[in-house]
Amino acid sequence: MDHEGIGAPIDGKGDGDMVDEKRERELAGKIEKAKEIFKQAFERFSPEETRLIWSGGKDSTLVLWICRQFCGENNLALPGSFTIDEGDSFEEIDEFLKRYSREWNVGLDWGRNEDVLKASNYTLGADVHMKDLNERNRAELKRIGFDQEKFPFEAESYAGNHLMKTVVFNAYLEQNTVRAVFQGIRWDEHPARKNDQYSEEIGAAELVPAHARYRPILHFTERDIWDTTHHYKIPFCSLYEQGYRSLGVKTTSLKAADIPAWEQDLENTSERGGRRQDKEKAMQRLRKLGYM
Amino acid sequence: MNNLILLTIDALRKDVLGCYGDKGGLTPFIDSIQDRSVRFTKAQSIGPYTQASFPGILTSSYYLEYVMQEREQELLSYRRTLVSEVLQRQGIATAAFHSNAYLWDCFGWNRGWNTFYDASDEEVDDKAPYTKARELNKKVHLWLSSHVASGTDRPFFLWLHYMDIHEPYVPERTYIDMVDPSIDLNEDAIFKLFEDAVLKRDASDRGVVELLKKLYCSHVREVDDAVREFFGTLEELDILNSTVIVITSDHGDEFGEHGGLSHDGKMYSELIDIPLIIFEPSRKGPEVCDKLVSNIDIPPTIVRLFGLQPVERFKGRSLLPPEEYPVKGCYGEALDIEASQKMEETKEVHYYREEDLKIIFREADNSWELYDLETDPGESNNLIDTSPAAEAMRGKLMPRIGRSRRNGS
Repeated sequence: MDHEGIGAPIDGKGDGDMVDEKRERELAGKIEKAKEIFKQAFERFSPEETRLIWSGGKDSTLVLWICRQFCGENNLALPGSFTIDEGDSFEEIDEFLKRYSREWNVGLDWGRNEDVLKASNYTLGADVHMKDLNERNRAELKRIGFDQEKFPFEAESYAGNHLMKTVVFNAYLEQNTVRAVFQGIRWDEHPARKNDQYSEEIGAAELVPAHARYRPILHFTERDIWDTTHHYKIPFCSLYEQGYRSLGVKTTSLKAADIPAWEQDLENTSERGGRRQDKEKAMQRLRKLGYM
Repeated sequence: MNNLILLTIDALRKDVLGCYGDKGGLTPFIDSIQDRSVRFTKAQSIGPYTQASFPGILTSSYYLEYVMQEREQELLSYRRTLVSEVLQRQGIATAAFHSNAYLWDCFGWNRGWNTFYDASDEEVDDKAPYTKARELNKKVHLWLSSHVASGTDRPFFLWLHYMDIHEPYVPERTYIDMVDPSIDLNEDAIFKLFEDAVLKRDASDRGVVELLKKLYCSHVREVDDAVREFFGTLEELDILNSTVIVITSDHGDEFGEHGGLSHDGKMYSELIDIPLIIFEPSRKGPEVCDKLVSNIDIPPTIVRLFGLQPVERFKGRSLLPPEEYPVKGCYGEALDIEASQKMEETKEVHYYREEDLKIIFREADNSWELYDLETDPGESNNLIDTSPAAEAMRGKLMPRIGRSRRNGS
């Protein structure tokens, strides 16, 4: 493991011994399928009109890695990337993004809702008062039907989620005339994803610019991600080695176990689950205590 | 004082303790420490079940303030400050040992603890679906020993929570015999009472209800022994004399007093009256405080005992010194679990108490009740239509009704 503890290609561990020839062909096929999605996108849009949404997590890093290959093979410029800082991020992730944007020579824009951060005094959990927000943020909250005087600064609260993620995303597309984005969503990561398509057109609406969304690795399972990552020595954030399976904002991401993500029972436990499984267990326990 | 321990006992009714007047001899050890304690005779819980009460005990905030967002996210709001967070920032060693699944780390109760043991990895038995007090005592013993052995002069704050009194009420034979040796039922038969009566909240058979109460009391006797054992550990490690210990419960338990069983969302005394005892090793002689106080006052008391500045977010007042505690009313609030399930929308239930008058509002049937606890401690004679105080009391509750839907305002 890399000495800075950021996460890096693993030497001698994981590759070859985990992936036999048949599996290698299978993974190569999945990568080819992803490249077809890039091909479709670049037939419609120039790379300058597109962005990779790169959280620094394993999935979006794979999307970037495949995109680099595809662009190299087809003599295309590499699209820039965009990451959303919700004001509650892991340092390990930030370091990872900085390091590999440099090493891979990929443009990286950071988006954050500075207005909300300022109104919260940069403090998680603090009250954000409507009157302290700019017009755009107030209009956004009105658009989603939020009519309270204040809300707590938490990326995953109703208002916080909208302002810290959705608004930042839409504003970025608008300001940079981005017409298409690449996302690292997968079918198996959540039941809600199972009907997602490889591409989707988002029509223009109030405060939302029209754009297309491409999802090149929809068909990868969590196991495919790890096998590919190890086999091709794709770098990944060190938090996965500590046991995190899925990385979101810091305060609500929990380790699923104390062993590396890829050594966990990926097929029978939930990826987003550190938390979810504990809660289900808590519910069972409470039922035993007589609570309905 | 160097250290502070908060010992909470789930579902412990005030009226089963000897020091609060019970004659059954269920709590000989707790009774024996009264000569070095302040005992509060009118302590109220801010809620009738764990989720409604613990925001008061550990965060000095009311349950309904942030409940909608918390239910949606299944996570304690960051707008609540745990007393452990305050103390940890000041360099005090903080540790929690409990096994109540509502308070597990996955729900956000792990904030601010250097050590947080919630027993979530333990396997449990249907007849005792929690980690028993004696087992927790062993874990705490280890933690305390290593704290002492480290030679640190860092004070500690320890929260220890016993679940043993909580249903399904399947106590050990030894303790059943101490309460009523004529109870001739094996564990399976006792467990069946839980399944047939408690789970169905069926209090129609008086004999069954009395039997359940005796089984509950057997657990009370058992927990008193666990408390004795725990004090023994503190003595053995030579820290009893430098440690203040707050003993309380999160709520009581119902045995048919108002037609039901367990604790789902009623606001009567069998659920809201709680024991509250502060053991101070340096105290000479017992003290009794008859002021109306609330478990929302516990975090401010802890902060004050550590000599720290009051915390702005805390809604309560320090209980010590008792003479400085103001004369005021107490509020409590909860979601009415039974009604909310039946009606498929959340219904609130509230109370407000001032001296011996108590008003209760149930949103599910829009009902108001007013009781004079001095003349009617069983809360059976509703004075809402006759008491001249009714309007003023109603006025105290009105602004709080519906606050679970007002998104943390």
